[in-house]
Amino acid sequence: MVPRRDLVKGSSNSLLLSLIEQQPMYGYQIVKELAARSQGYFRFKEGTLYPALHRLEKSGLITGRWQILPNGRQRRYYYITSKGQAKLALEKSQWHDFLTAVKLILQPGPSSS
Amino acid sequence: MTLELTQYLESIKHDARLENAVETDVMSELEAHIEDKVHELTESGLSEKEALETCLGEMGGTRLVARQIYEAYSQGSWKLALLTSLPHLLFGLLFVLNWWQYPGWLSLVLLLTLATTVYAWWHGKPTWAFSWLGYTLLPVLAVGLILPYLPRVWSFLALLIYFPTALWWLFHIIVQTNKRDWLFSSLMLLPLPVIIGWFLAISSSGRFTEYSLQLLDYFAPWIGLSFIVLALTIAAFIRLRQRWLRVGLLATSGLLTVTLIVHYTIGRLNTFTFFGLILVMWGVLLVPALLEHYLKSGRKITLRRRHTADSTAQ
Repeated sequence: MVPRRDLVKGSSNSLLLSLIEQQPMYGYQIVKELAARSQGYFRFKEGTLYPALHRLEKSGLITGRWQILPNGRQRRYYYITSKGQAKLALEKSQWHDFLTAVKLILQPGPSSS
Repeated sequence: MTLELTQYLESIKHDARLENAVETDVMSELEAHIEDKVHELTESGLSEKEALETCLGEMGGTRLVARQIYEAYSQGSWKLALLTSLPHLLFGLLFVLNWWQYPGWLSLVLLLTLATTVYAWWHGKPTWAFSWLGYTLLPVLAVGLILPYLPRVWSFLALLIYFPTALWWLFHIIVQTNKRDWLFSSLMLLPLPVIIGWFLAISSSGRFTEYSLQLLDYFAPWIGLSFIVLALTIAAFIRLRQRWLRVGLLATSGLLTVTLIVHYTIGRLNTFTFFGLILVMWGVLLVPALLEHYLKSGRKITLRRRHTADSTAQ
């Protein structure tokens, strides 16, 4: 059986790119969105989110920009790049194929007999 | 900022060992995250202290976060790998192609090394600077070799001045380098066992004679090869992400080069010298780490004292 931690690790890039594609987000917002949308399934040590984001940024898939809020505080928002969009499209297609194949095995239809 | 939060961030900052250019951004981002979360938790009814404890617990241990940040930034490009291993390659070529016999080439390589090191030292000590820095210690070693040729009284006086000054300078450079990362100090000192090994093989009495030059000429291809091994080590070091792999690589390379020297100089170096060189190699690898451990303890005490003083003043 694949441990849940490994599943999260293996899909973290796709998840982060997918969230950032929908709208530019800052780190804490990403943590909350991931937990809320997955109903608590994707929980991890929050400090480890930043190395993952920075790896994506170093690969040119996302880009971070500091923004000053009206209350004077600063936040670093992440934006997806065109390279990131292309990578996400590819990963989405791979996930789709994978999920379809898993579904065919876990929920066999009448034709499979 | 509370002492707990300061220590948490300082610990990550220290262990992540980032270049100044990115360190501020990374630390500000973590701090902003903690502030947001603590603010949200206190609004939900927790006390300031409880909120911070919960928040830091959910952030993850400092070692885990720092290790992952280190690995996100540690891998250098191939260009950086080439730039970092270039001084070893130059010294390797100097011997493989027998250019060491021409003072012009020798001076050119030494001048290039010195100029590159000075440039890098004044431009924020980038990662690639440390392998070049090791070779700028060569003139210091060369001065030490000239001392036995001075008249006896002068030689004694010079030794009295030379050793404390050279040791102080070396210590100063290691402390400065350790501020970035003790592994860079080890990287800087990596050629030391190789240079000492070849020197002992060529001139065991400590004096250069006509015979030493003949031996140097005879061993030149193997001397070149040992520097090329160092170059390959550095290139692999720059490309590796994991710290423990980097430490293992430096230790293996040190052992390999020392064995290579003893192997190709059969009869010139005895078992005692071999173990002496291994000791130098481990010293090169571990002294910077021990020094950092000592300096880190001092920093923690200073941080606690400063915080106590701030609290008393308020």
